[in-house]
Amino acid sequence: MMEFSTWDIVRNLLLAARWTIVLSLVAFAGGATVGLVILFLRISKQKAARVFAGGYIELFQGTPLLMQLFLSFFGLSLLGVEVPAWLAASVALILWTASFLAEIWRGCVESIPKGQWEASASLGMGRFEQMRHVILPQALTIAIPPTVGFSVQVVKGTSLTSIIGFTELAKAGQVLTNATFMPFTVYGFVALIYFALCFPLSKSSQFLERKLNVAHRDH
Amino acid sequence: MGYVFDYSWIGEYSGVLLKGLWLTVWLILVGATFGVALGIFCAWVRALGPKWARPIVGAYVELIRNTPFLIQLFFIFFGLPSLGVQMGETQAALLAMIINLGAYGCEIVRAGIQATTKGQFEAGWSLGLSRIETFRHVVLIPALQRIWPALSSQIVIVMLGSAVVSQIAAEDISYAADFIQSRTFRAFETYIVATLIYLALAILLRQLLKGVGWVLFPKRSAAR
Amino acid sequence: MPFLTRRAVVAAFAALAAVMVGAPHSARAELADITTRGTLRVAVPQDFPPFGSVGLDMTPQGYDIDVAKLIAEKLGVKIELTPVTSANRIPFLQTNKVDLVISSLGKNPDREKVIDFSTAYAPFFNGVFAPDNVAVTKVEDLSGKTVGVTRGSVEDLELTKIIPADATVKRYDNNNGTISAFLSGQVQVVATGNVVAAAIIEKNPPKKPLLKFLIKNSPCFVGMNKDQPNLKAKVDEIIAAAKADGTMNAIAQKWLKTDLPKDL
Repeated sequence: MMEFSTWDIVRNLLLAARWTIVLSLVAFAGGATVGLVILFLRISKQKAARVFAGGYIELFQGTPLLMQLFLSFFGLSLLGVEVPAWLAASVALILWTASFLAEIWRGCVESIPKGQWEASASLGMGRFEQMRHVILPQALTIAIPPTVGFSVQVVKGTSLTSIIGFTELAKAGQVLTNATFMPFTVYGFVALIYFALCFPLSKSSQFLERKLNVAHRDH
Repeated sequence: MGYVFDYSWIGEYSGVLLKGLWLTVWLILVGATFGVALGIFCAWVRALGPKWARPIVGAYVELIRNTPFLIQLFFIFFGLPSLGVQMGETQAALLAMIINLGAYGCEIVRAGIQATTKGQFEAGWSLGLSRIETFRHVVLIPALQRIWPALSSQIVIVMLGSAVVSQIAAEDISYAADFIQSRTFRAFETYIVATLIYLALAILLRQLLKGVGWVLFPKRSAAR
Repeated sequence: MPFLTRRAVVAAFAALAAVMVGAPHSARAELADITTRGTLRVAVPQDFPPFGSVGLDMTPQGYDIDVAKLIAEKLGVKIELTPVTSANRIPFLQTNKVDLVISSLGKNPDREKVIDFSTAYAPFFNGVFAPDNVAVTKVEDLSGKTVGVTRGSVEDLELTKIIPADATVKRYDNNNGTISAFLSGQVQVVATGNVVAAAIIEKNPPKKPLLKFLIKNSPCFVGMNKDQPNLKAKVDEIIAAAKADGTMNAIAQKWLKTDLPKDL
């Protein structure tokens, strides 16, 4: 009869946490890329683009991530796109992350005073150039703290992939609970590992925010 | 071979969906009420409460905000019984939602409170208001007005996040979808319908919260 | 919260509605596709000992996994195991994420409408289990009790038909949930497989699921998508050969600690 020691539990959870980290990185990197596209559409001069981006954000922020995962999981292949399980999970996480990042960044872009747009336009810059040279560099500084803050939600969001059968930290916790009959210990450790991943991100977001505020006050 | 969509099950299972909808609505209405109350209480403790209690509330807020809701739910439902704390899945789901919203609510309300200046607070005192009264009239109400939109978003997020309570067999909308799916093998169609219900619910909830804001803070709304 | 126009909301609904009625296409893997690909993708349980559970290194092991390996070996291809839950194993097949479901899958008319089954490869009796102090001997005794079951399993479907109206059925997403709920005292009674209960008892849990009564004899079959005559024939052939030459019996001895029943 095999017995799991406390170390076996922790070791297996840590091994599974690698997948949580990989999924988080994929979701965040992909989400940032798609989010940037949605951001451009959202602040575009074209009405159709704005409506599309608005609908996108409404759809992904107005429905549960769990449902998005199910739909991506069972839907993509029905639409004829053959993807492995981890990719289907990533697609849902990426689209969900993008909707939040786009909205966070829009707030940052819009906090740049209108005068800057007008000034750069008077210099003969096109919209893309304005964004690239004038608006984004400033918006970026403002955007860093909330973006880092949102990464915590991404890490936590990956726990839902356990429900569609992806073996990451949360799933490993479930499996180990039944192998050991020690739910309190196992879920305690699972929570601690998530905390160890998320807390530094939360703290650095707060730290960056404070630093930024101080910088602004000094102006 | 093409896959043919089939929604003919909706009639037979509409009762299951409605029952699920009712639980989700009940959970968010009760959960939001107590969650916001807990958040305000925690914000008060952190700002003006007894010194010894502040780090405890701080630890609670950080712990909840930095761990997934799903794990909090499992911990309450599967883990706590080994300490002799046993509760049904609906209570566990509700408790998890209250604790979760309480932590986020605390941070949101606190951000609103911090915008209140020391001078305003002292003015309240000098008018002869007690500590609690000053907190209520000078600090809390203006703070709530300021942060109501942020709090509303958080409530919608908690409602959408509640979809995972089906994992402990609480019979909400996503449970209904899982149940129907296991009977009809129409996974995709079932989840599409469930997703539409959630979307409608999110939009309605946002409108409702806007309405609540109007009632709670009439002056400000009138001024707009 | 996003400041969104009514138009955005309409767009969101329209997008979902479009997905609802779209005309998709789903490719099915026949035997030739599997041999060309060189891997057999099999859905197996990881929360259902002794059919499938995890070892110390978290890799799946059990009766179902051994059968999966056997079939892959006879097909001369590599194996790719995908852990699934009872609730989502059929959708995994329908959406072509796996070629075969070897996940202690029982057969019933509803399932036969959507997927095909091989011949039986393992015995399975499901029943109602509870600790010593719970007085239940027949289905009527469940009246007023709370029974945990894994959603979408044969026990769920069968029990739902016969259980008294005043009994409560709690349906969990996967066997982990069902077993955890029983062991943590969230439900007094569980419906599951006899060997599953035996595997739990063997690990000496705080609460022992003892057999109260059997619900149904529901042997396990390999599930596959419809219209794959070559794959079905080949899987049947492999199972028949394994039964004849004692390979299957050895797997039964290893995991169930008993011989295969003669009538399987």
